Amino acid sequence: MKRRWLLSLMAGLALMAAASAQAADPVRIGFAISKTGLFAAGTGSQFDTYNFWKDQVNARGGLDVKGVKRPIEFVWYDDQSDPGKAVQIYEKLITSDKVDLLLAPWGTPAHIAVSGVVERYKFPMVGDSAASVKLRELKPGNLWFTTAVMPDRFGPVIADALKANGLKTVAVLTPQLPFALEVKSFLMPALKKNDIEVKVNEEYPPSIKDMTSLLINVKNANPDAVLVFSYPADSTLYMKQARENGIAAPFQFVMVGATESWFTKQFGAATDGIVTMGHWSPKVAAWKKAQPFFDAYEKQFHEAPDYLDSALAYMSCEILEQAVAKAGLDKDGIRKEISTETFETINGPVKFNGVENATTPASLLQIQGKSMELIWPPSIATAKFEKKPAWPAN
Amino acid sequence: MIGRWTIPLIVALAAACGVPFVAGDYLIGVALSLAMWIALTESWILLSGLTGYVSLGHVVFYGLGAYVGILLWGEVGGVLAVGGAGLASGVFALAVGYPALRVRGPYFVMLTFGLAEFCKYIVIDVEAGLGQFSRLLLGGPSVLQLYYVVLGLAAAATALTFFVARSRLGYALRAIRENEEAAETVGVPVAFCKLAAFALSAIIPGMVGALMVARSSYFEPSQVFDPIVSFTIVTMAIIGGSDDARGPFLGAALLVLLSEILWARAPQVYMILLGILLIAFVLFAPGGITGRLLSRPVKVKP
Repeated sequence: MKRRWLLSLMAGLALMAAASAQAADPVRIGFAISKTGLFAAGTGSQFDTYNFWKDQVNARGGLDVKGVKRPIEFVWYDDQSDPGKAVQIYEKLITSDKVDLLLAPWGTPAHIAVSGVVERYKFPMVGDSAASVKLRELKPGNLWFTTAVMPDRFGPVIADALKANGLKTVAVLTPQLPFALEVKSFLMPALKKNDIEVKVNEEYPPSIKDMTSLLINVKNANPDAVLVFSYPADSTLYMKQARENGIAAPFQFVMVGATESWFTKQFGAATDGIVTMGHWSPKVAAWKKAQPFFDAYEKQFHEAPDYLDSALAYMSCEILEQAVAKAGLDKDGIRKEISTETFETINGPVKFNGVENATTPASLLQIQGKSMELIWPPSIATAKFEKKPAWPAN
Repeated sequence: MIGRWTIPLIVALAAACGVPFVAGDYLIGVALSLAMWIALTESWILLSGLTGYVSLGHVVFYGLGAYVGILLWGEVGGVLAVGGAGLASGVFALAVGYPALRVRGPYFVMLTFGLAEFCKYIVIDVEAGLGQFSRLLLGGPSVLQLYYVVLGLAAAATALTFFVARSRLGYALRAIRENEEAAETVGVPVAFCKLAAFALSAIIPGMVGALMVARSSYFEPSQVFDPIVSFTIVTMAIIGGSDDARGPFLGAALLVLLSEILWARAPQVYMILLGILLIAFVLFAPGGITGRLLSRPVKVKP
């Protein structure tokens, strides 16, 4: 009796194995993402975009691997917002799960942490939600970054935008996180060069729960612009407490979080006039793939894509897809393809110089009414900067 | 006692040395983190288990070692950087231990926790002042090399705690734990003993810190001074049993195993389970696994 049961089980397994061999073998793509921990609130749009891309590609019949269409399958883990964990995960993905391709984790710390792993295993990966001049120290070869907001480009861009709009005094609030501090270090000399006076310059811990005392300093200084180099949690905090404290600066900038759809949903009319970091918009006519991406994304998720992370994540997927179409799954081929070719993305053409996206300009977005506009630099602007209206009464 | 535990320990060490021959890089990574936790928890036991001065800021030595390690690694090479990291942590412990060990009980717990946070923000400020917001250590040693070095440190930490616990110093430390005034009255040099234990418990975490930076190839202050490291050490010691060098093996092994099983699919469950385990052990088995399961029954005198 027992033996017969075992036999039928084995037969069943054999059948299943045969069946799966007949269908096209999936391309397995691995990544880590912070589902829990300090960064969890900011990672949703990157994760959604990866899945959106996967679904799109699978609906087209699969990923084009040198002419053969194969379905995409994800292998992903939660890195708990711990870059050390991300290192372990990418090792696991490469050596134990033996994935065919990699997508990037969320945020600069995790990107830098896994750079050692992709280098050790010579496994090419297109990065997205990371930016740091430190990245240029990485040996070009296995990691590239789609971002256009490298701190040494982004800092001066903010100063230029302030100057061009006649704003002469600023308050600068910076969480003690690498990217934020780095942007600030390039912003300060640029402000000085443009004769913009820094009235408040404070740093705060990233886990801050109350910034009232900082904001009272800001209010007393009454600057033309408030620049908060915040992440989702402290961007949210700023929105609440700046309104409570009646911060009235015409230019109010929060760095990460404002491009996500939950941000405008949560704060409604209060977001009108908020300036933030981002270099993508569906409204730039020259970027032909931008509007179709926006429409398809909105149709699937019933919300707009994140102008920052969704755009970056999708760009990294597009670049990988185009490289694999030509080079297949061969690591050397993919590496050569990515480092030399120009890729057509939703953010326009992208060509890498070393590890860096050398083509997309660093820029600023502003929420104007219900829409998100690129306001600087003028070469890609979709609207002019508008002074932030008074906070809504309630 | 030594005889009973020598053979299993040697077998365990031999098995640990053999791991890389049968395991892939990922499993070696897991074994590396197990060795790391054993080294850290053994070091913690040397101070907190024996003296009862519970340090909730042991990450400060790890973080400091990491910082010194990354500063030195590129300049003088890995061996000297790791040595320098251990030395720096030891000297730092001597310097802060003298005033810090004057308070005890919950005050010492809070002080050590605060000290670690304080050092974290000092390092953040220093790094910001230097225009460095994170540092990279590229081309470091392979996971295999790191594993053997950290395994060596885990063995060294175990041996250190094992022998200290059985030395005159160990008896003095336990006397301090049970009743510091009485110990002082009978002539135990309490200030010296406590300071010695504090410094000894700092050196190996410092070295481990430097090595783990080489492992992640990335240094960022808030990461290497993460208070979770301190909490994990204390949890492993409590679950394993904190009076003896045997405890951390069981505590660290259990938690690393649990986290390996759970992190990939249910990280929250892992944290909840950790909390439940901790409460359960404090309530029902304050001596930890070693204290509860391995001790001979005590005969109660009528």
